[in-house]
Amino acid sequence: MRQKSYCLRPAGLIIGVAVTVFWWISLAQAVDFLSDESYEKPVADIAVADPIEPFNRAVFTVNDKFYLWVLEPVATGYSKVLPADIRDCIGNFFYNLGEPVRSVNCLLQGRFRDAGLTLGRFAINSICGVFGLADAAGHEFHLAPVYASFGETLSVWGVGDGFYLVVPLLGSSTLRDFSGTVVDGVAMATYSPWNDDALTTATAQGARTVNRTSLHLGEYVEIKSMSFDSYVAFRNGYYQMRSKQFDHSDAAKK
Amino acid sequence: MPQKNNLDKVTGALPDVWWSMQRKSSISSFLVSILTVFVTVFCTQSAVSATPDPTEQLRPFLKKVTETLADPGLKAIPKQEKSRRVIGVVRERFDFREMSKRVIGQQWRNLSEKEQGEFEALFTQLLQYAYVGKIDDYSGQQVQFTQQRVKGERAEVQTLLVDKDKSIPVSYIMLLRGDQWMAYDVVVEGVSLIRNYMEQFSEILRKDGYPGLVKQLEEKIAELEKDIKKT
Repeated sequence: MRQKSYCLRPAGLIIGVAVTVFWWISLAQAVDFLSDESYEKPVADIAVADPIEPFNRAVFTVNDKFYLWVLEPVATGYSKVLPADIRDCIGNFFYNLGEPVRSVNCLLQGRFRDAGLTLGRFAINSICGVFGLADAAGHEFHLAPVYASFGETLSVWGVGDGFYLVVPLLGSSTLRDFSGTVVDGVAMATYSPWNDDALTTATAQGARTVNRTSLHLGEYVEIKSMSFDSYVAFRNGYYQMRSKQFDHSDAAKK
Repeated sequence: MPQKNNLDKVTGALPDVWWSMQRKSSISSFLVSILTVFVTVFCTQSAVSATPDPTEQLRPFLKKVTETLADPGLKAIPKQEKSRRVIGVVRERFDFREMSKRVIGQQWRNLSEKEQGEFEALFTQLLQYAYVGKIDDYSGQQVQFTQQRVKGERAEVQTLLVDKDKSIPVSYIMLLRGDQWMAYDVVVEGVSLIRNYMEQFSEILRKDGYPGLVKQLEEKIAELEKDIKKT
């Protein structure tokens, strides 16, 4: 009898911890704009700790300079060469390549409907959309893209954020989400057409980044000019955007 | 004819019923008064629950804003005047007092009436100048209403700002004031304007207090104003 109660105790503890963790996860993910609490305590519910702020700020400054001195001028020149609709197609092509990874992540998260939808999008866009250059699935079949990443999968499995991390060249992330990005990247490299050598992969990634930037020219500078502490503004924006990406409830869907 | 018999019976019975009603008049009047109270309460309650529709109030407002932005006459006038004209329209459905209150957060109560007014004016001006660049960006984008959520006196109206090849989700967070829904936050792609400024302001408030915040606001406004005048 006595031994049994000893056995039960850790089980109860685990259940208790699990319930608390899930409660926290649900609390952390559901940001209800209609409740006053989300305004009274805006930081606590979605924010992650930032213990390495001095390091992050340094990387932020480097990224900022890199963006202003290299990326934006290159993307501006590129945008003058290629018209916007062609650049959209290139963006679609890169996005389409990520669909299988997204589908697997949906499966790992138990979102079976989304997994099928993503795979369906991949099939439709690869065939009808000419290697994913056009988003036929979105426009003709009304299958809107869904968000999924390995960082999100880890979060569903109960892995915490760790801490806020500004990654060189990549920008805002957290320890968990950056690990997820690396895993997603490695998974994508197994089937992407440029997995031959590092240089080709880097060129493809660079092209993708320049293309993406060319479609959002001026936005970065504008947000910066509106903010008081752009480091804090982008950190907060990242948290908010991510909590929307991770929210797959009906209320969040457009 | 059974029908006629029935009718006779009813007419014959009427005086009896009448008298019995007279006898019970005190009870029935009591019941009637209760009924009246009940009906009155019910009616006022249903009047309260029949709140105006937030989307139906936002729709004409956004139409007016887009019409103002599309007005060819707006292109010719200087930027500062332009922003003043647009904010004048925006004021109709945006509650800048409520925005100020929320962006400051719990410290709002510690501010004096004068400080609250001062902050509201500064914050309004900040938004006016911060969004002035957006005015020229407008090129006929359409607003699509997707869905709304009402919870008591709060509402979220979700829209899509439809551009040529992309659409941006924009939500308006609104508060019921009397019979008018007034917006106090805009959420663009999941990022709330108020909550973003709130985190920045709370750090300034913690480090330099309210005077420090006013100083930074004034500096930012001057900086934006200089940019506006330059172009």
